[in-house]
Amino acid sequence: MIEVKNVKKKYGRKQVLNGLSFTAKKGEITCLIGINGVGKTTIMKAIMALTPINSGEILIDGEKIRKESYDKITFIPDTITMLPQMKIAEAFAFMADFYKSWNPQRAEELLKFFKLDPTERIANLSKGNTAKVNMLLGLALDVDYLLMDEPFSGIDIFSREQIAEVFTSHLIEDRGVIITTHEINDIEHLIDRAVLIDEGEVLKDFSVEEVRENEGKSVVDVMREVYRR
Amino acid sequence: MKSYLKLVHFEISRFFKLYLILIGLTVVSQLIGAVIVSKGYMSSAEKVMYANQLSVSKYIEQSAFSFSRFINSEWFVMPIVFCIAMLMIYVFFIWYRDWFGKNTFIYRLLMLPTERINIYFAKLTTIMLLVLGLITLQILLVPIEMQIVNGIVPADFRTNFPFYGIYDQEIWGFLYPNTPVGFILLYGIGLIFVAILFTSILFERSFGLKGIFCGIVYGMFSFGVLVAPLILAVSYTGYFYPLEIYLMELVTSIIVLGSAIWIANHLLKHKIRV
Repeated sequence: MIEVKNVKKKYGRKQVLNGLSFTAKKGEITCLIGINGVGKTTIMKAIMALTPINSGEILIDGEKIRKESYDKITFIPDTITMLPQMKIAEAFAFMADFYKSWNPQRAEELLKFFKLDPTERIANLSKGNTAKVNMLLGLALDVDYLLMDEPFSGIDIFSREQIAEVFTSHLIEDRGVIITTHEINDIEHLIDRAVLIDEGEVLKDFSVEEVRENEGKSVVDVMREVYRR
Repeated sequence: MKSYLKLVHFEISRFFKLYLILIGLTVVSQLIGAVIVSKGYMSSAEKVMYANQLSVSKYIEQSAFSFSRFINSEWFVMPIVFCIAMLMIYVFFIWYRDWFGKNTFIYRLLMLPTERINIYFAKLTTIMLLVLGLITLQILLVPIEMQIVNGIVPADFRTNFPFYGIYDQEIWGFLYPNTPVGFILLYGIGLIFVAILFTSILFERSFGLKGIFCGIVYGMFSFGVLVAPLILAVSYTGYFYPLEIYLMELVTSIIVLGSAIWIANHLLKHKIRV
């Protein structure tokens, strides 16, 4: 379980995270929802120790992040994390070199699934294919937790559909996923928990299925209620 | 350790193309220079001897050819200066290239399942290996250049110039101190300077504008500690034995290098921002 407890963070004078707390369980897809600039990406980076926090605590399976944790949790940001001059196959070799959790069979499987050519240079890929490679590099790690920052932003509809397909496949099963988006429509049917964020605070944290069953509301309905309050 | 070595290999391969260009430029410039300087000397010697009806022995009384003529020519010096300048720029670029542009490779580097200080050590090692590689290249090139010069300028025109004579030349004497202690001191201090610069860059990468100020203050303070024994030696001439100064310098060097690494480790672990 990933526990984010009362996390505060300032950028200069701006309070980006203001006592933010939530948990994300293994086997569940948790979606952080909010408009741009509410601190979704910052919290992802804070979980991965890519930006310091001013106070609060973040635990992964009860422990603070350490070097071994990067074989257990990975982050897929909204930009590619490999050198553009590398070929896809070279990026695979790099990952295999450094990560014990790299799963070459799964990487091959994903390569076929996304219809990518391993001899292609990353710099020459379309935006959609770059996003797919980025996702592939995260998904091919045998990690317990996956963090994805806006995986659908700025890519074509077919690439979106392909990426969304990943969420219903065995590639995600049993893993804990935290995903951020400001366009919930793409993934509403896929997520288990929704965490609505505004101005660095959690406004509502709920189980999507429970709300659907008990109140007959969709995530968008709840968002309307919360954000228009 | 394994990750560190892999990172060193990776960092070197990232600079390798440009490095080959630097090597190529140095080799081409110096070899062509050796030919041009020698031929230039011979053609001017022939002209002067013909115009003034001088014999070789008379001519070389005034201007015999010495290998130092080539070593002090721009053909020899310019590629060295260019390589030094490129490596000095790369000291900054080796970090900033991971943050800027389309490429956000720093995410990947900081998410590797290894101690983050290994990234710092790998970049530091890479710079030192690149420097030492160019130094070695130069040592290998000089005998070849001597052969070229000797092939073009007949022995009658040359003053005797043994290989070790190049140590008396200004630029060579600077790059290659002629004692092992001098060599270790020069490149040891070079290593410490690069480490201080790296830590200053990490201050900037961690705290932004405030970090630039912290980095400059930190850099100046470290530099002050590093040169303190030398200032003492100059201020109190004759008061300390050279060995005492040397030991003091050794101690301050260890303190400065140790604190650069310690601070960098802290910044990379707890303060760095991407």
